[in-house]
Amino acid sequence: MRKFHMILAMVLTVVMAFSVKITMTSGGVGKELEILKKQLEMFYQIYPDIEVEIIPMPDSSTERHDLYVACLAAHQTDPDVFMLDVIWSAEFAPFLEDLTKDYDYFDLDEFLAGTVKSVTVEGKIVAIPWFTDAGLLYYRKDLLKKYGYNHPPETWDELVEMAMKISKAEGINGFVWQGAKYEGLVCDFTEYLWSFGGDILDDEGNVVIDRGNAAVKALQFMVDMIYKYRISPEGVTTYMEEDARRAFQSGTAVFMRNWPYAWSLLNGADSPVKGKVGVVPLPAGPSGKRAATLGGWNLGINKYSSPKEKEAAKKLIKFLTSYHQQLYKVNSGQNPTRELVYKDSRLKEVAPFMATLFDVFINALPRPRVANYSEVSDIIQRYVHAALTKQMDAKTAIEKLANELRWILEE
Amino acid sequence: MKKQGLTALWMLLPAVLTISIVAFFPLFKTFYDSFYSFSLRPGSIRQFVGFTNYERLSRDPRFIYALKNTVFFTVVSVFFETVLGTLMALVVHQKFALRGLVRAAMLIPWAIPTAISSQMWRWMFHDQFGIMTKICEVLGIIQPGTPILGRPGLAMWAIIFVDVWKTTPFMAILILAGLQIIPKELYEAARIDGANAFQRFFRVTLPLITPTIGVALIFRTLDALRVFDVVYVMTRGAVGTETLAVYNRHVLMDRAFTGNWFGYGSAISVAIFILISIFAFMYIKSLKLKFD
Repeated sequence: MRKFHMILAMVLTVVMAFSVKITMTSGGVGKELEILKKQLEMFYQIYPDIEVEIIPMPDSSTERHDLYVACLAAHQTDPDVFMLDVIWSAEFAPFLEDLTKDYDYFDLDEFLAGTVKSVTVEGKIVAIPWFTDAGLLYYRKDLLKKYGYNHPPETWDELVEMAMKISKAEGINGFVWQGAKYEGLVCDFTEYLWSFGGDILDDEGNVVIDRGNAAVKALQFMVDMIYKYRISPEGVTTYMEEDARRAFQSGTAVFMRNWPYAWSLLNGADSPVKGKVGVVPLPAGPSGKRAATLGGWNLGINKYSSPKEKEAAKKLIKFLTSYHQQLYKVNSGQNPTRELVYKDSRLKEVAPFMATLFDVFINALPRPRVANYSEVSDIIQRYVHAALTKQMDAKTAIEKLANELRWILEE
Repeated sequence: MKKQGLTALWMLLPAVLTISIVAFFPLFKTFYDSFYSFSLRPGSIRQFVGFTNYERLSRDPRFIYALKNTVFFTVVSVFFETVLGTLMALVVHQKFALRGLVRAAMLIPWAIPTAISSQMWRWMFHDQFGIMTKICEVLGIIQPGTPILGRPGLAMWAIIFVDVWKTTPFMAILILAGLQIIPKELYEAARIDGANAFQRFFRVTLPLITPTIGVALIFRTLDALRVFDVVYVMTRGAVGTETLAVYNRHVLMDRAFTGNWFGYGSAISVAIFILISIFAFMYIKSLKLKFD
């Protein structure tokens, strides 16, 4: 018996010596965490010597950002694998392992060009695209049909008309979106801005938001949806993704702007609107252009982790971004970053909209790619929100926004 | 005698060391940092700038605005907390059945982490499903469909309400401790002299609990002046609710690796420290508190 114990102890020691434990951060929106845990089970079958600990993070991107700043500023060796918002690549690049030489190891050639661009900072690859996101329009098929509309809105004007008519007749809200003062507001705002023909920065990084009147018109349109057309509740200025989804899912709104993750929840077994929801690209603005903001999350490796942990981290990232795992991740409503997955017939079964809306995902537009994006975002959030809550008019808000952007970018 | 003094010194040492590490060092470091310009980006060069950060603060409209908000929040919330806390303490000081249970239950709002209770209140103030919104509508305080947390003016009052809900019990417990040390003989003497309930409260109770209230006031004011979580969770500083700590989060976090803002953020921290000192000084002088 004693011998057995000794052998057991020796075996355990050997296993412990070769096994490595790494930590990774993950979000927990919708079914995200549940799916990731199942993926890790599959990962352990291939790499029994690697153990992965998941650190769940808050829902809001801003809070995740602060968590990382605290870790990185202290040069912490944990977490080893960071789940990074597309907007952070430039800001966090100095703390991330340079993966440029692993370009082929991760098959980056097979990824959507836009997502690879989002992880490239000054020519270096700092993370691997995990899933991509784009703003979409969800609508109630049953209600549109009931009021004689045989197609979803093609333009913002059409959306306003439908929403006014249906919401009045049904006594519900017309359109819910993300209007609280946080990162999501920037995503929503840029979609209007682009579809009205404007932009924040030009290719050289100059502030062009106040060139022409596209930005003022776009912002005025957002304000009008609340106070003039009254299709959005005033409370939309306090809504984040989940607030909008809950309102829409409980059947109290005709239209909703949200990310792809909402699809699987809206069609869940306990959803009152199950089977009644359609999803299409966001409507076009007066410029005739449709625009969706590029969202999504990448996986990067902590520069301060040990070489052994970095190796394990690379294996984990390669596994999670592989063809089959990306296909599996569709179950939590997260869009693949590999182009070929969209052509797989199994994807169409789980999330048909991903295949039909492929164009939206490859054409989604990025928010400004600057290292001090967090500052840029803060300025946009403050002035757009001030206009939405009628603390200043749209014209003043855009003027002040442009001035502050210039000041911060020229600093 | 000499030996005793030495022993006392040795016994004080751990406490002095702990305080130095956890309180004096960060404080000193923040003061020191506030005279420099740098960021947390690897390779950032520290540059001594003297009082430049403070000079810029005085011209920063966002700082001035946050300062006003913070003082308003502090004065209003601490006022209500003190009045309600005193009333609450007087009630639970009386003898009644299940008094122990009530005293313990009373502390629940204070025991819930603020980040969690604020989230709970954020939902209760939700414009469509929130019970607080319903209650305010029924009472006629707001028009139906008004988003309380999305309205300039209203949002700050909602935040103050949540803070009062949360910290009044803390005030009550401190004041209760003060009530318990008042000798019963004083009340008996007052009764014999024919003092009525009001006179007994204003002439006996109040003067004797003033030092306790003073200490409680200082505690609460210090906390209120650096309020962060309740504001950040409920409105993120939108619609005119940005406080100094919320603004400081932006400077220290959003600008940590870009620009050279860390010294500026430290200057804001020092400003909060100075503000707290001013309040503490005023209390000590006006309430004639003695700390020896």
